[in-house]
Amino acid sequence: MTKERYVVHYTENAVKIVQTQVSSVRKKDILRTSIRLYDGKSMGVAGALGECNEEELVAKAKESLKLAIPYPYEASRELVREERHRSDLQGEEELLEATEEILQKLRRDQPHFSFSHLFKSARVESSMQNDLGLNLKSSREFISLELVIKDKKSSNIIDAMTGYEGRKFHKDSFIELTNMICDAYMNQLPDIEEGVYPVVFRSDDMTYYKKLYESLNGMLFGSGGSLLSGKIGKKVFSDKVTLFQTRNVEDGFFEPFFDKEGTVNDSDRFALIEDGVVISPYTDKKTAATFNLTHTGSAGGEYDGLPELGMPMLKFAESHKTAKQLLDGQKAIFILIASGGDFTQDGRFATPAQLAFLFDGDRFIGRLPELSLSSHIFDMLGKDFRGVSSEDFLGIENAKLTIMDMNVKKL
Amino acid sequence: MYSFPDLLYSDVRIEDVSKSDIVVTLGRTDNMKEQRYSAAFIRVFDGERWYFSATTDLDSIQDELDRLASLAKKNRSIEEHGVVRKLQANKGSYLRFDGDLNVFKTSLNEKYDILSSYFPHVEKSELVKFWRGQYIDQRVGKRFFSSKGANLEFDYQRVGFRLLFQMAKDEEQFMERYDLAGNELDSIKGLHEEVRKTVETSEDFIRNARPVVSGSYPVILSPEAAGVFAHESFGHKSEADFMIGDRTMMEEWKMGRRVGSEILSIVDDGNKPGVGNVIFDDEGTKAEETYLVREGLLSGRLHSAETAAALGEELTGNARAVNFEYEPIVRMTTTFISPGELSFDELLSGIKEGVYVDSLNHGSGMSTFTLAPCRAYMVRNGKIAEPVKISVVTGSVFQTLNEIEGLTEEFKLLSFALGGCGKMEQYPLPVGFGGPYVRVRSLSVH
Repeated sequence: MTKERYVVHYTENAVKIVQTQVSSVRKKDILRTSIRLYDGKSMGVAGALGECNEEELVAKAKESLKLAIPYPYEASRELVREERHRSDLQGEEELLEATEEILQKLRRDQPHFSFSHLFKSARVESSMQNDLGLNLKSSREFISLELVIKDKKSSNIIDAMTGYEGRKFHKDSFIELTNMICDAYMNQLPDIEEGVYPVVFRSDDMTYYKKLYESLNGMLFGSGGSLLSGKIGKKVFSDKVTLFQTRNVEDGFFEPFFDKEGTVNDSDRFALIEDGVVISPYTDKKTAATFNLTHTGSAGGEYDGLPELGMPMLKFAESHKTAKQLLDGQKAIFILIASGGDFTQDGRFATPAQLAFLFDGDRFIGRLPELSLSSHIFDMLGKDFRGVSSEDFLGIENAKLTIMDMNVKKL
Repeated sequence: MYSFPDLLYSDVRIEDVSKSDIVVTLGRTDNMKEQRYSAAFIRVFDGERWYFSATTDLDSIQDELDRLASLAKKNRSIEEHGVVRKLQANKGSYLRFDGDLNVFKTSLNEKYDILSSYFPHVEKSELVKFWRGQYIDQRVGKRFFSSKGANLEFDYQRVGFRLLFQMAKDEEQFMERYDLAGNELDSIKGLHEEVRKTVETSEDFIRNARPVVSGSYPVILSPEAAGVFAHESFGHKSEADFMIGDRTMMEEWKMGRRVGSEILSIVDDGNKPGVGNVIFDDEGTKAEETYLVREGLLSGRLHSAETAAALGEELTGNARAVNFEYEPIVRMTTTFISPGELSFDELLSGIKEGVYVDSLNHGSGMSTFTLAPCRAYMVRNGKIAEPVKISVVTGSVFQTLNEIEGLTEEFKLLSFALGGCGKMEQYPLPVGFGGPYVRVRSLSVH
């Protein structure tokens, strides 16, 4: 019987902001421990929150083994890796000080707006060890600065948003971005002519990713229920499209480098689509074995349950071109907020864009009226896909820009 | 029990949580577990700022109270502070689910049997390529103590299951789910007819649905769609924390302002059964029935102590935290449109060409709200007609509220097992929602 120990220790400092003032500070320190037992046919798991008696956990895991939940896969073995990635602003005081500094600047620079939400710094320390020589330890710190922007003359709940997640405190760039958003917001542009336009999304905007999560889900793919089922080795998208599942810290992923089954990929990435060709859906050991698919190391699930297929972070490979070069002299529609849209089952896409700016490749020019965007997944990532910018927008981490042509109408 | 720091307000919320989770995919059990833990959230307020701490070490609560107090500024007038004066100091034990109704008196195997009794409905469909069944339950015993003298014990329980399935026919795919929850195990027994009907309706949909012709149509919303619409388009705007310190919003949202048609009333009530059943909120405030809109007029808001004090209004019992790791913020409980008087046929009559939204994937609400339908149908000459595929239905919130022109007498309150409401970082919070069937004069359909 193999015994495996999995521990996640999450610590966080957070500063809540209401109406451009600090309203509260919060500290979290949460420890989760689980013990897994593998007997070759099943797995037994038991977990505990906070400090715990591991012998008791082992006893509970043995009880859980009696449920005979099938898990006939060997535990990951003979792999040792330890890493630590630090971030700025991990101290309670320095986070509060940085927050006050930014808020003071925004109160002065943007008196027509109020800012609310949350700045936080966090650390995720995870480890997985077992009797088969697996010894993985990951410590990743990050900061998250997110603000909801409200025009003081507006009766909306939210008028705009700003923020990023990363390891460096980009104070000046964050303020520059926020000022650019506010200034562009105040510059209401007249009506736009309906038609096809280059549309720009931030690379962390899930709007256009949604269908890929469903279509590349190994369970759906393997059972024939995905739009991409049966298309391994087939070119379905533009050859500019290469899509990874990633656990690489440089891609803005701050969970551990190993999945919930202790699988580690080269460079912490796995290409699911390469040059428009479907390589594999994302899978865990069970999904890969069930449907005879490549195992991509995408196990998720709760810390105290059996591993199951998780939702990995997906990332498009960048092009060698800047956003300006990808736009090739055209003005684009930069989407800040596109909330509530979706894909149909066969891939048609439509969404309102509640906040969009006219964009010249470097800066926002002004605010466009509310728009409606539509397309189809095979066009968005096919003939209409221009690429992902090589550079981060305003030098802020994890802020690449994805550009594709779409149908744009007034709302 | 605790020594609360002088010259400050403080409270402690302890959560004793029991949960079960059973997941079966394509007939194979993926997970089957029970979890139990206790944890606490501590708050200290000095009149200017709140200080929070979440801990799994109940023995350290006093230390955390003292640590947070050391960060705060002592305030001799704290008891006269508006927020502190608003807070209730309820006492007593209000445990409803600790006897025979306690879902943890039932074994995990028995719960598995209830869930698996529904599997044949998806297994026998030739069109179902992938399916997953999930059972969840949760019982949370909450203990709340405050420096004002609150000493309260109450509980919350939800029990539910979801059957998710993906159908494929030639190049077509269609994903649908049957999802239901309540407060007791009996809520999810004996639903075979409903599950069977959902599968059959889905088979018809994938076989016959065609893309909708985009345009503006009169739209009929099912109780599910109407409930999500009320929640997304209006419920969030009624959460008073969005208007603190915001003069423009407070002017726009004056009580008595006409915001919708005369037949429209929207209510939030934590006393209603279902997953939004929250008889005390996470500040120890008793739940109230709150009319947000009464006959088209703005009549109420949802409050925490902070927002009630800021706006000079009464508490409503809507300060909720998604779990022990978070502070309570203003959230909905069960939000619904009140029923009307029409029959379903009367609601449809007179519609030459329209759309009926039956089930949803999701919805959202800003100044433009959206509903992403799962199953939808054309309405032709007053009758439900062919199924159609729709990406999104959109409209201006206020225009739509004013264009509600019919409500049925038939009314449903709904609770889902999985998912929930998201607000900022706190997701998913279980909420109930519902309404009658609703007719809207015109919405954009894509």
